Amino acid sequence: MTRPARGKILAIKWGMNPNSSSLGIDVTFLLAGATALAIATPVIGALLRWRKPRPTPAPDAG
Amino acid sequence: MLADLARRAVDLAAGALEAVRAARRHPPRRVRLERFGAIVQLVAPRALVFVDRAYARTLLGAAATWPDPETALGDVPLSAPLEAHLQITNKCAAGCVGCYTGASAEGAPNELDLAGWCRALDALADAGVFHVALGGGESAALPWLGDLVDHARRRGIVPNLTTSGLDGLPGLLAIADRFGQINVSLDGASPATYAAVRGFDGFARADAAVRALRARKRAVGINVVVTRHNFAELDAIFAYAAARRLSEVELLRFKPSGRGARAYADLRCSDAQHRAFLPTILAAAKKHAVRVKVDCSYTPMLAHHAPARALLAELAVYGCTGGDFLVGAKPDGRLTACSFAAPPPPDATGERPRVEALAAYWDRPDAFGAFRTWRAAAEPCASCTYLALCRGGCRVVAAHTAGSAAAPDPECPRVVDHGRAAAARPVVRLPLL
Ligand code: SF4
Ligand code: SF4
Repeated sequence: MTRPARGKILAIKWGMNPNSSSLGIDVTFLLAGATALAIATPVIGALLRWRKPRPTPAPDAG
Repeated sequence: MLADLARRAVDLAAGALEAVRAARRHPPRRVRLERFGAIVQLVAPRALVFVDRAYARTLLGAAATWPDPETALGDVPLSAPLEAHLQITNKCAAGCVGCYTGASAEGAPNELDLAGWCRALDALADAGVFHVALGGGESAALPWLGDLVDHARRRGIVPNLTTSGLDGLPGLLAIADRFGQINVSLDGASPATYAAVRGFDGFARADAAVRALRARKRAVGINVVVTRHNFAELDAIFAYAAARRLSEVELLRFKPSGRGARAYADLRCSDAQHRAFLPTILAAAKKHAVRVKVDCSYTPMLAHHAPARALLAELAVYGCTGGDFLVGAKPDGRLTACSFAAPPPPDATGERPRVEALAAYWDRPDAFGAFRTWRAAAEPCASCTYLALCRGGCRVVAAHTAGSAAAPDPECPRVVDHGRAAAARPVVRLPLL
């Protein structure tokens, strides 16, 4: 995947799993193959850098 | 065709806007440090992104420190599950023949109430869980579902839901926008197939629920338990999803759990269907331009087609990650590796682990038994190049069919071939001395 000078995106788990029985794995990318993922990964990297997360503790109980 | 693509693009953009709006109201957990680096949550597109330590440092700066040496992703269990599957009630009057929880109109003994599930959500939020998938029974019929969902949001957890669509729809419609994703269980594209899988025809009601929910939100899909009766209808199921402009089709392997244990022999797919599964679903997804997800137990059927391991890893396509990427909880709060698995055995005090005490159980060396011992798999998993991803296939199918949760998944095509080859080998009898 992207290998910027500083670090690497190892994996992207797409979507959310509403299924309460087992982990849902998005396999749509198997259709498009590695090329599509190679295009998507830098976009994800740019989004991560655009809105950098802060390592906050879990939000408090309301 | 162009009109279809344009509609899809509009749906995608509108879905992303919905997700951003929900995240503004209640920001979800953004990041969690892991031995390999960190997991970062994106809201649009919705994704959990796994990054190594160097990458995490560029995002988090000096705040990112780790007490232990770096490992590769998958080398050790995560610090907490990504998602928890909460069976918040076992009440459901539908009586489906293959119900994996054996749900009934009375529900299960000692079901947790709203306060109990809120405590469970607090424990999950403290542990760093990103998502919960709420199921049952029929959770949509619970009068306090909206309060529970609000509590999850307040604690930074994104709540998602599976419903049969057969009960509780008016209440669910009123709170539908608070969920990340809602899927309706629909095991066929026609009344006859629905009835063959579930034992009664609920197609029209489930379809009405799909349409009503889809009119309220974009992140609505269907869960389809694939059986030998509806396998031939998979293309029609994708066509249905496209016609209803659904965001995804999630395909589930039939598990021998709950009432499903009795119905397993009649409903499980054949070996030929398992081998044809991946090309069949990818062709249908492509033809109808619908996103497709499969459950973790299907990884052996994906591996059968030898996809590039690096690509699977980059897509976080893992097999049996119960007790690691995911956990389950029974209606009374007992913790499980996944919703189909039996709760771990009692400890010395006679107590079984509970979801409210997840953190205390998680790091125990014997936690989740066979779910965490996949590195010691027997042949043919031991020599399988997909073992690190697949982890030996479904523990629940192995326990039911092979008699041991630690056995290789007996429905994996490679395991089937291994068994056939062993059976065909001539038995060499040594002379008795
Ligand atoms: S042989 Fe075992 S590890 Fe390999 S794909 Fe089959 S079940 Fe998975
Ligand atoms: S036993 Fe493992 S593969 Fe089977 S459903 Fe549970 S987590 Fe998934």
